[in-house]
Parts: sequence; structure tokens; C-alpha cells
Amino acid sequence: MTTFIRPRLRKPAWIALGGVLFAAAWLVRGGPLWWVSILAVIAAAARAISLYRMGAKDTDEGALAGSRADERQSQLSLRSRALACNLAAVASFVGLTAAIAFNAPWWWPFLVILAVMGFGYLLGLSNYGVAEEGQADDAGTPG
Amino acid sequence: MRNRVREQRAQRGLSQAELAAALSVSRQTVISIESGRYLPSLPLAFSIARFFGLTVDKMFDPDEEDGR
Repeated sequence: MTTFIRPRLRKPAWIALGGVLFAAAWLVRGGPLWWVSILAVIAAAARAISLYRMGAKDTDEGALAGSRADERQSQLSLRSRALACNLAAVASFVGLTAAIAFNAPWWWPFLVILAVMGFGYLLGLSNYGVAEEGQADDAGTPG
Repeated sequence: MRNRVREQRAQRGLSQAELAAALSVSRQTVISIESGRYLPSLPLAFSIARFFGLTVDKMFDPDEEDGR
């Protein structure tokens, strides 16, 4: 879908969309905190503009923000995402353990996050090659 | 792994930005390859070698440590 949008606008567009959805959630929720939706829109707009401006810079961050990363920059982004995911997994495990220890009712979101990560990892393995190992080529073996 | 990218680029009087544009990569990637911090993928290694009219094994020497 995003390939129809100019590369430099892709990430800002996702941020803006996320901000609008988050703001809509606060509006739908109603109540006295409806004004948080305005803050969400302002924050998302500020972040989208800053990403758009960063996309013009001749740096690794600029290339990633502007969706014009080359192979090294893509690898950099991938490794950073892997690190972020590992940190999130550790944080979720710590949260789950603490919630259980304190007999708190908020243990299940941590479990959901851990389960999604585990499922995502297995999905990645099946998508990116483990299932494509195939059979060993026996050429050259005496038969 | 040592490579001859910097040497070949200097011989042709190219800037890092010009080489990056010719290879369709970023200037930062050319800098990382030249300094040995990044090993390019096989397609990029072939592109670099072809650009300089050399073979990949002439361009990249796995037996030599880089100069870091």
C-alpha cells in the first residue's frame, strides 16, 4: 500500500495514521479526558514532521526515516529491531514475574506480549527459510 | 577482510559520494566498506568489482586483516 506514497512520506504517513487512530480511541472512549485526543494528534503531527525533515538528511537515520535505506542501513535497522524486541521480551518477562509475585491482576498483558513474540519468532522461522532446507543433495556419494 | 575500494577509488579520483551514487548505496556505506566495518553482500561486492573492472577476489582479500 505504502509503495504508492513517495518514500520520504511513508513513515510520516504511518505515524500520522497511528496518531489519528489513537486520538479516535480517546474520542470514542468519551468522558472528561477527551482532550487527550488533541494532544495525540499534536504529538503525532510533530513526530511526522520531524521524521519528514530527518528524511532529507544525509545520515543513516535520515535514510531510514526517508525509506531509502541501502543494504547496510536495512541491516542496521533489522539489528536494532531485534535488539528492541529482545529488550521488550526481557521487560515483559520481568513484568510478568513481578505481577505474579505481587499477586496482581495485570499479569496477562505481559503474557500476551511474550506469546505474540514467541509466535512471531516461529512465524519468522517458517517464513524465512527453515522450512525450505530441502533434502540433501547426494551427488558425488558412492551409490 | 581487506579490500581495495579506497585505493581504487583514489586512483580514479572519485569521491565517496560519487562512488556511492554509482553503486546506488549511501556515502556512509562506502565509508563503512572502505574502513572494513561492513562486509558487503555478494551482489554489492560484484557491483563494486565490476565498477572498477576487477574480479571480486582481486577487490576483496579474505586472507588479509583490514587495517583497523
